[in-house]
Amino acid sequence: MTSLEVNELTIHFDGRPIVESLSIEVPSGAFAAVLGPSGCGKTTFLRSIAGLITPSSGTIRFGTQLVSISSLVLPPNKRHIGYVPQEGGLFPHLNVAENIGFGVGKSENIEVVDEMLNLVGMKNLATRKPYQLSGGQQTRVALARALAIKPQIVLLDEPFSALDAALRNELREEVCYLLKERKTTALMVTHDREEALVSADIVALMRHGQILQYGSSRSVYSNPISPEIAVSTGDVLLLKAERDASNSIRFALAQIELKGEIEIGQLVIRPEELIVSAEPSAAALSAIVSKVDYYGHDAVLQLLLDSWPEEEITARIAGPLGFNVGQKIWVTHVGPIRWFGLPDKK
Amino acid sequence: MLRDRTIEIYTTTLLLASIVLLFSFIVGSTFAWLIHNVTLPFGSLPIILSVLPLAIPSYVLTYAWISIYPGFNGFWAAVLILTLSTSPYVTLVAVASLRRIDFTQVEVGRSLGLSQLAVLRRVIWPQMRVSLSAGLLLVFLYVLSDFGAVSLLGVNTFTRNIYTMYRATFDRNGAAVISLALILLATLIIALEFRLRGRRTVIKSHAGIVKTHVKIKIGWFRWPLLSLIFTYALLALGVPFWVLTTRFIQNSESIDITSLISATFSTVIASFAGATLAMVFALPLGILLARRSGFIPKLAESSILLTHALPGVVIGLALVALSSKFPWIYQTLPVLAFAYALLFLAKAVGSIRASLQRIAPILNDVSNTLGITGFAAFRRVTLPLAAPGILIGFLLVLLTAMKELPATLMLRPTGYETLATEIWAATSISKFNEAAPYALVLIIIAAIPTFILTRPDKSDSQADSEGLIQ
Repeated sequence: MTSLEVNELTIHFDGRPIVESLSIEVPSGAFAAVLGPSGCGKTTFLRSIAGLITPSSGTIRFGTQLVSISSLVLPPNKRHIGYVPQEGGLFPHLNVAENIGFGVGKSENIEVVDEMLNLVGMKNLATRKPYQLSGGQQTRVALARALAIKPQIVLLDEPFSALDAALRNELREEVCYLLKERKTTALMVTHDREEALVSADIVALMRHGQILQYGSSRSVYSNPISPEIAVSTGDVLLLKAERDASNSIRFALAQIELKGEIEIGQLVIRPEELIVSAEPSAAALSAIVSKVDYYGHDAVLQLLLDSWPEEEITARIAGPLGFNVGQKIWVTHVGPIRWFGLPDKK
Repeated sequence: MLRDRTIEIYTTTLLLASIVLLFSFIVGSTFAWLIHNVTLPFGSLPIILSVLPLAIPSYVLTYAWISIYPGFNGFWAAVLILTLSTSPYVTLVAVASLRRIDFTQVEVGRSLGLSQLAVLRRVIWPQMRVSLSAGLLLVFLYVLSDFGAVSLLGVNTFTRNIYTMYRATFDRNGAAVISLALILLATLIIALEFRLRGRRTVIKSHAGIVKTHVKIKIGWFRWPLLSLIFTYALLALGVPFWVLTTRFIQNSESIDITSLISATFSTVIASFAGATLAMVFALPLGILLARRSGFIPKLAESSILLTHALPGVVIGLALVALSSKFPWIYQTLPVLAFAYALLFLAKAVGSIRASLQRIAPILNDVSNTLGITGFAAFRRVTLPLAAPGILIGFLLVLLTAMKELPATLMLRPTGYETLATEIWAATSISKFNEAAPYALVLIIIAAIPTFILTRPDKSDSQADSEGLIQ
């Protein structure tokens, strides 16, 4: 297995930049996810790593091997990558075994196909045609076909998006396990934030052809570098706050040291960082429950703080649900203070 | 004098083509609507009946009508015959494009307060317009290039004039001038249609399962509706079938079996060679047109479209003029095969392109990442997926070449008789009994590929009817 290093990659399409000076590094054996909304250029980025799209500038390295520099590219068949496109892209005229063995030479074909069929647990479906398979089975075959050529890097394009929720979780776990066990370097693009956070070691947030933040799932989630990123990795409370007379930012839930010349900004709090209790305590602020969204395993409460009646705030609490609309409760904040200045309105 | 005559020919041809266009549009779109929207009895019989007349060459249909009704002649007779012959094109194209429309759109339209009629006008029609106009173009060009029917019925159109000029007086220059006028007219029509249809795009509302179409149940009223189709089938299929079988049975002793067998073989050999040659030319063109956009494919597309505008008579004339300069190929089988290939290139390219375009480009990408590229990828991915469509395209060209008359008459080697030329030789001197066995064999052979095209609910046949209208 090998590492992946992308440096200052720019890709144009019809004269428009789709990917702009993008850099990313995936260590050998790691699973990285590129998270971004549709149209942000993530599929284009993935296809350029596969060698299916020619970039206009920048470099791509597999370990020490330079595979792409400016518009000089190694063709896809020389790259030894496992490409799993959206919805699998199985060859409709070939059965499961023939699909898996497509890129494997004759001499070792039977052996490798056998190994792969066992790996993805589809031994008994080897002679089925793709249209006779369920969505999950198709994804498994596509993965097995990609792994069969012993790729340096596996590229996955929204591999689970076509599946329903239950199957999605199960298959995701299975795929992550397979990739980890074989110590495969993998890069997945997805628009599903949960999927990115739960499966990847490294998450890269992509917007408008650029990577905005890059790091472990945990660091990206709890230390976003902007409110925008905070929103894209999970639910947030965005609270407006202003500098006051005592030169500190005042907000009912937190007191913040002033940084620089910022006059106005946003406080970012995750709903699960608010602790809600039916009993009053010293540091807690009183509030009234105005709305309850019940999800079973957890619930989201809309609260109106007595000391900050301008805005409703949300708190996520783990089940079982013990609160009702109109109830008086006490709230404390546990967690980091994230403060982002807004551009000055002069 | 030549100018007055040219104007008269122009008027007759245009009038004939326009009236036939109107009628076959009415017949074809009505039938397509019935077949798609109404629960008709007898399964897929209605669609087979309304499309099977494709297998009957216009000169055979004409000959059948003349033989039961000796006064059958003139302009309106030609309108009837050509309407009967061309409406299957419209039906086929309209049914195919109706089937492509996702029924959810109809349901959404209805839920937004549109009446059935408003749904037809605002949801279905805009999506059908493009392929329907291509089907109607085909009808128009069919009439322009038809030779057999108008000649037998004495209607003075371009093709008949060109042929008689060439045959009677060997006036190649006069024939060439009129040919040029005909090409000009056809080119103009193609350009006009190209303008009107705009961009050819298929819009899919979602990638999921296309909702099954719910047909209208109309009780007893389906019988009068069905009788429309039956009446059409009676006129277009019943008449020729009855005439041919009765004449065949009446004269079964006097049939010249040897010449029947030899004509059948000649037909199969010539059209097989022509179809093979057409596919050889069409394969690289189809690949070029399906995969790439740019100047060269556009140029190729326009020139292929132009071959559409060339009737058999004109190609025949051109190749006679050309090959008579080289005596060693003049009136030889290769020249005839070449003529077929030129004439039906557009059909062949159309079906190849349609079957290639249905292959998801991602499959080629995946194959590349697995180390299989170039010709190996073409052999292992593209070809097996496109093969059924290509094969049916081949059958389609084969079928059309079998029925082809004017170019065959002009270019065949001396003494080389095909089924078409035997039918022509007998019918043009009113020996209807002698023509019957040849016509019967021709129709039976030609019915096989037609039948394949009409198989209902096969996704392949949809693409092929797309190929057909190219």
